[in-house]
Amino acid sequence: MSPHSASSDAELFARLPDPAAREELLMRNKPLADYLSRRFAGRGEHAEDLAQVASMALLKSIDRFDPKREVQFSTFATVTIVGELKRHLRDRGWAVRVPRRLQELGLRVGKSVPELAQELGRAPTVPEIAKRTAMSEDDVLDAMEASQAYATDSLDAPVSEDDDRVSGDALGTEDTRLELMEGWASVAPALERLPAREKRILYLRFFEDRTQTEIADEIGISQMHVSRLLAQTLAFLREHVGGEIELP
Amino acid sequence: MSSPPPETVSAQIPAKAEFVHVLRSVAASAAARMNLNVDAIDDLRLSVDEACAELLKAVPRGSVLELTIRRTGIDVEVVVSTDGDPGSWPPNGHERTLAWQVLSGLSDEVMFERSPSGPAVRIRMHAVLEELGH
Repeated sequence: MSPHSASSDAELFARLPDPAAREELLMRNKPLADYLSRRFAGRGEHAEDLAQVASMALLKSIDRFDPKREVQFSTFATVTIVGELKRHLRDRGWAVRVPRRLQELGLRVGKSVPELAQELGRAPTVPEIAKRTAMSEDDVLDAMEASQAYATDSLDAPVSEDDDRVSGDALGTEDTRLELMEGWASVAPALERLPAREKRILYLRFFEDRTQTEIADEIGISQMHVSRLLAQTLAFLREHVGGEIELP
Repeated sequence: MSSPPPETVSAQIPAKAEFVHVLRSVAASAAARMNLNVDAIDDLRLSVDEACAELLKAVPRGSVLELTIRRTGIDVEVVVSTDGDPGSWPPNGHERTLAWQVLSGLSDEVMFERSPSGPAVRIRMHAVLEELGH
């Protein structure tokens, strides 16, 4: 790979799906994606999340761009990226910043759940959590809800493998099994794009029928975090069921 | 109209994706009072998401989505329905779709049906048994 390739965009598009050409197109247009994501910043969504949404939209526009059309790639990419950013903000619009009080309540709830699960041998109910944490049931519910809304992770960047805690080795066979299950085959390409941890959570929940509390224990994150990741993963997969049909 | 059985909670939203979180919250909040544990409550949240997405996708021209949740014996039963064109609901081969697989993985029972109010998804989750006598 030559770092200073002098190829034109047209030449690069002609070379697709060559990964090097794709990478070069991605690098060239990254500033556009960053610029657009900054324009949408300050609306209650994390800047990094927006940047990831924009990057994914850029990738999508590279894969979908038809050089034969009478339109500049930058125009096509801008429309795609702005569309995805708007959709993201609309979908997550309610996921505004969580007030500090709720974050603190969320931490208390999060801490009590595994303790109670240990004692009870099952996941606790809301009244049980309320009793243990000396919170009202309403506050427990608010805290659970807020932790769901709090978009600390963005599945719009499923290619990011940064915080994978699960080794890839154990996953190969499991992925295959998940994709062999009825219904799941329809999202096989999207499953491949998921980070290993998210795939593992799906596998444990839907193939092994483990509860969210058990999964939390096994992976070493909170039950609320498992719940949030599942919600994001399922939303991501829903978007990609029959995704190919949209392609021209 | 007969009066609803006790402990029934229902809510109605416009048939638009951006309102779905309202039904999700109502379901979670009601389910907590009906003694589902936190795993089941969060599974229910995910199920409501999935059911709404499926109804919005498969049933065109609906104006509302309605959720009803109630205790029936040891179960908590949730019905999400829409008033849209029932057309071919439930979709052909729906038991092979991802939505169905996800819903049946998350709940104890799931049915795609035509309810009196229109195309519907019915979900059952078990409540915590040892608390029932209290």
